[in-house]
Amino acid sequence: MLLRAEGLCKAFDNVTVLQDISFKVAPGEVVSLVGKSGAGKTTVLRCITGLEKCDKGTIEINGKYICSMENGLIKRATKEQLFEVRKDLGMVFQNYHLFPHLTVAENVTLALTEVYKMPKQEALTKAKEILTQLDMGDKLEQKPFSLSGGQKQRVAIARSCVTNPKLLCFDEPTAALDSALVLDIIKIIRGLAKEGMGILIISHDEKFVRDVSDRVLFMVSGSITKELTAEEYEKYMRE
Amino acid sequence: MLESLIGYIIEVSRGLGVTLSVFAMTLIISLPLGVIVAVCRLSKNKIICSIAKFYIWVLRGTPLMLQIALVFFGLPSIGIVFDRLPAAYLACGLNYAAYFGEIFRSGIQSIERGQREAANILGFKTVQFYRFILLPQAIKRILPAIGNEVITLVKDTSLVYVVAVNDILRVAKGAGGRDANTLLAYVAAGLLYLVMTYVITRLFEVIEKKVQYEE
Repeated sequence: MLLRAEGLCKAFDNVTVLQDISFKVAPGEVVSLVGKSGAGKTTVLRCITGLEKCDKGTIEINGKYICSMENGLIKRATKEQLFEVRKDLGMVFQNYHLFPHLTVAENVTLALTEVYKMPKQEALTKAKEILTQLDMGDKLEQKPFSLSGGQKQRVAIARSCVTNPKLLCFDEPTAALDSALVLDIIKIIRGLAKEGMGILIISHDEKFVRDVSDRVLFMVSGSITKELTAEEYEKYMRE
Repeated sequence: MLESLIGYIIEVSRGLGVTLSVFAMTLIISLPLGVIVAVCRLSKNKIICSIAKFYIWVLRGTPLMLQIALVFFGLPSIGIVFDRLPAAYLACGLNYAAYFGEIFRSGIQSIERGQREAANILGFKTVQFYRFILLPQAIKRILPAIGNEVITLVKDTSLVYVVAVNDILRVAKGAGGRDANTLLAYVAAGLLYLVMTYVITRLFEVIEKKVQYEE
């Protein structure tokens, strides 16, 4: 299993946000977490990526742990361990969070050259390859401000994919896209899954979730209340 | 009259060396120290943060002239002795570090948290994040404020007359007093300050243009 989350609990100032959340994502599988605003979807994603510390539970990504339970106590990854786990992890934020002072190419290559110490030319070749696959090959020298929302998202996807993560997380990927662009992003995500990447999406866009997911998890008030396969979800939507 | 004004300008220029050295040394001390003050001020460690806050409060809350006098005249009474110019460098440097620290802090805080989170997940260490992502953006945003402060510093260098070093103002005062023509001597000093602030203003315009990008 690529991602295993087990018994995640989280509270902010004594307000429970996550209650005993457990789920798995296999390689090549697209799993969506759906639910109303405030259901705790984003918190799950932030715990999985190590941006938020959960109070209890186990998160295992590709055999490495963000946190685990030992004798009833939570054991969290050290900074170094978190760095190792994150090598297998990518995240595309709702607002993309591109680096505005860098060009498209620099946004994609910076982690390769500075974190992974890859030679600049090699990093650029890799970035060009991914950006071309995402139809952004002609925008290498542009700055983020000159790109549309959909283009920014592709750069964010390229930036996350360039380090070859095993698990890619998307936070509300269709929130700022028109319907034509939603079809494109479905193709991109399905393509990544076909290559063996595990995908975890949080979204409240039902149509998008139906078309992109292999499995759908429903969240209500911090708990997963239902789990449906793609076919079951389609039936559920028709009803 | 023009001839005597030019004469005064040439004479008052003798103070330029001291003024420029105070200006340069203050920047050399205060800019790096300002970064440290800002980082401490933003520290999650409450003690470090409180020390930085206290430092900023004291240095911004008391007159620079008092601080220069305290370093030169006050500290010898507890056995710490500085020459005139080093006392001026130190006092001005410490004072401006407090102001620069607050400007740097505003720049650091102006960068959206999401960029730090994106960088974290990509594997950037804090130092790398600061160097490649945060500082290039923060510097662009704080340049106008830094420019303001640097121009103020040009004028604040005149406060070192309190420790009797021959900066532009003190030389002008001496020359004007000697000839009983303080007007022209001070006009000459004013013109020199104007030239310096003009050069700095233009310099900052060039730098701002260089780091400009749309967001």
